[in-house]
Amino acid sequence: MNLLRSPGTADLPSPVRSVLSVRMPTVAVGLLLLVTVVASAVLQPGFFSPYGLSASFATFLPLATIAAAQTIIVLGGGIDLSIGTVVTLSSAVSVVLMQGDDGRLPLALAAGLATGAACGLFNGLVVAVLRLQPIVATFATSSVFGGLALLVLPTPGGQAAPVLTGTYRMVLLLYVPIPAILLLALFLGWRLLRGTRFGQHLYAVGGNADAAYTSAVPVSAVRVLSYTLGGLVAALAGVALLADAGAGDPTLGTQLTLGSIAALVIGGTRLRGGSGGVGGALVGAVVLSLIQGLVFFAGVPTNAREFVYGCIIIAAIALAGLLTNRNGSAAGTTGGNR
Amino acid sequence: MDSPPFLRMSGVRKRYGGVTALDGADFEADAGTVHAVLGPNGSGKSTLLKVLTGVVGPDAGEVRLRGEPLRPRGPRDTLAAGVASVYQELSLVEDFTVLDNLLLGVEPTRFGLRDRRAATARALPWLERFAPAFGGRVPVRERVGDLDPGERQVVEVCKALVRDPQVLVLDEATASLRRGQVEVLFEVVTDLRERGVLVLFITHRLAEIFSVCDRATVMRNGTDVATVTVADTPERELVELMSGQPQARSSAAPARQAALRTAPDTAGAAAPAVGADPSAPPRLEVRELTGDRLDGVSLHVRAGEVLGLGGLQGQGQSELMAALFGSGRRTGGTVLLNGAPVRPRSPKQAVRAGFCYVPGNRGGQGLALGRPILENFALPSVGRRAALGVALSRRREVAAARSVAERINTRYGSLDDPVSTLSGGNQQKIVVGKWFPTEPSVVLMDDPAKGIDVGAKAEMFEVVAELAASGAAVIVGSSDDRELVEVCDRVLVMFEGRVVDEVFGDRLTEDTLIASAMHITGADVAAAHSGDAAAELPEPDHDPEARAPGPDHGPEEGGA
Repeated sequence: MNLLRSPGTADLPSPVRSVLSVRMPTVAVGLLLLVTVVASAVLQPGFFSPYGLSASFATFLPLATIAAAQTIIVLGGGIDLSIGTVVTLSSAVSVVLMQGDDGRLPLALAAGLATGAACGLFNGLVVAVLRLQPIVATFATSSVFGGLALLVLPTPGGQAAPVLTGTYRMVLLLYVPIPAILLLALFLGWRLLRGTRFGQHLYAVGGNADAAYTSAVPVSAVRVLSYTLGGLVAALAGVALLADAGAGDPTLGTQLTLGSIAALVIGGTRLRGGSGGVGGALVGAVVLSLIQGLVFFAGVPTNAREFVYGCIIIAAIALAGLLTNRNGSAAGTTGGNR
Repeated sequence: MDSPPFLRMSGVRKRYGGVTALDGADFEADAGTVHAVLGPNGSGKSTLLKVLTGVVGPDAGEVRLRGEPLRPRGPRDTLAAGVASVYQELSLVEDFTVLDNLLLGVEPTRFGLRDRRAATARALPWLERFAPAFGGRVPVRERVGDLDPGERQVVEVCKALVRDPQVLVLDEATASLRRGQVEVLFEVVTDLRERGVLVLFITHRLAEIFSVCDRATVMRNGTDVATVTVADTPERELVELMSGQPQARSSAAPARQAALRTAPDTAGAAAPAVGADPSAPPRLEVRELTGDRLDGVSLHVRAGEVLGLGGLQGQGQSELMAALFGSGRRTGGTVLLNGAPVRPRSPKQAVRAGFCYVPGNRGGQGLALGRPILENFALPSVGRRAALGVALSRRREVAAARSVAERINTRYGSLDDPVSTLSGGNQQKIVVGKWFPTEPSVVLMDDPAKGIDVGAKAEMFEVVAELAASGAAVIVGSSDDRELVEVCDRVLVMFEGRVVDEVFGDRLTEDTLIASAMHITGADVAAAHSGDAAAELPEPDHDPEARAPGPDHGPEEGGA
């Protein structure tokens, strides 16, 4: 019995509490999306033109995909600080095998995806079987994967297959860019996963691992699978990055990791696990990308951009957090003793 | 032997570190019965059932279900074998709906996706059956985190039932239920018995055993003492089986008994000697205190008195101390310290008002294990010695620490060594002793001797006596009745958030405390003991000298 716990939290009537806890993340991120889209439309010339949409979605997709990968892992109660280097390593493997040749595209993509899944599996085994703290373990594997990426592709470069980059820039029906369709496909894929037993067990393990264990949920297997899937999806992000940039870059890692975590927090996923979803993280990633664009188009001096960008992200996370944490604080005190 | 029993556990042993929880327990039960497992705190009843459900792996022993050996590696295996357990709190996911919780781990699927319709079809009958326990509603889509504790417990029961168990384990499952909810549960339990299910039942409410159980196995000190048919057994006989004979308990381990004897000599000598002057006004008076698990607690303690809080575990003892120390919730009632009302809102305010608190897990709450002894001594009182509120003089710190260390007779190498280098007993002395310089009015101790060996325990209670002698009012909560008898002047027995009995003087014995904790009147116990004092135990083997050290009767030990 923990004597020194915080005094009881306010007893709100249950309907009020459930509305606050379930709806607020969605409201918060929706609000942020609306604000950033309106601001972009005002400040960014041709934002809604076919070219503008295509360019925007082309930058959304990689970050959104990494955020989705991170969300799968975080929902299961883990975190993956190596996810950025998984992206760079798998895209480095792909681009080296591709050598700008369309014929080698399938092999290169398969190798890239396999690399990502293998990295994720490795993380999962380290966390679930060796039972190392996820934050420390993946910090370490992050260096391993980042180092491998530098061995595979020492400097930014390589050449992506023209089919890949070409398709990525296509716009269907005048207004629908391919990356937008892929973003939708990513979301639908997530909904499908959410509908499976694994999807349910993922939330159970992240929400209360002890409860899941006593309920005969294979907790370790769920953890390993969540990291493996996260690695696979991170590799998909690597492909998107490659298609967008046309070349590989082994140095992006850390920046991508932090972006993925920021995006999922803005999207209302609880960092402790068990609550949230990929949908929110996708929107969070879009918001994050839009903010980056806004700082550029608002005419902020080059040297001040990073600073302003950071401040806006803090504000966005604070807004999402203020509206989400109400229920998290109550559950947080009970979940701390595991 | 004819057909094997439906469930048989034999020679089950389990140790946690130095504490023996199960010491060669045997247990048999038949299908189609409701079988109670009884015993005082730390008798091993919960551990026995946790071995069955696979939550705890036994060190030795065998479990056979329908004659087949059951060697679970975890709850997955036992569930597959048809054993489902209702846990007190740990198996619900608060963020999930009731429906999702009920089917967690056994979700029906269709084409690889979860089949909500099949899930509802499977869960709904049970929820409808328990609708009266949910206040008439069927909370399929409600979030479990939004239900009250009683309703969550009912969900927990439904969750076990959805798994169609052959063996259903109810471990204190009724503890947080209201009367109406218990009635529904018992109706269901009666139905299950008709259908050939074995229901294993742990409860602290003796009346429930008589209303629903067929058989009862009594546990004490990690072994099974007797198995009886409930209908043929008077209440007082059950109580007697549970309490046993103090002589029979300790003589099994002569060495330990010798160690134990030192405790009453040393601690007992000081505490009652100072004795609280009965005419003195109470140092602390609590009137009708309510809060988490507290349902109108009233008590008073005088300066120099050691008051015990006994009863079964989890009856509000810890919550009472938390409420007094400002870290637990207080919804009503008054607390008077030296006649003036106090209402600390945080531990810091409580310390300022004159309270101090000694927790059971010294690593977690009582000590900074990695820091030097000096700092640990100084921590609670550091503000008093700091010049201008900030500047500390090392010399003054060392002097203060030395004087306390001397007073509580602590052996240490250097004051700069980390606390973790000390023995458990000396650590525990520091947990208590560091409060001396603050000259506390009221000392709250929550199971302070949990998990430390007997010698260390005795030494620590010397310090408690010293604190009382210096004029503090001491309140000690403990799940170990023997400990309470040894150190307290007076013991209040708590049951479901209320004080139900006050025991002192000649009545202050382990037997009385156990009986009282099970909510039996004193008259029953007196009758039990006067009636057949010579034949306290039905088994003839309670003469320790004549007993061979077989697997059933190894050395005994108190708490788990």
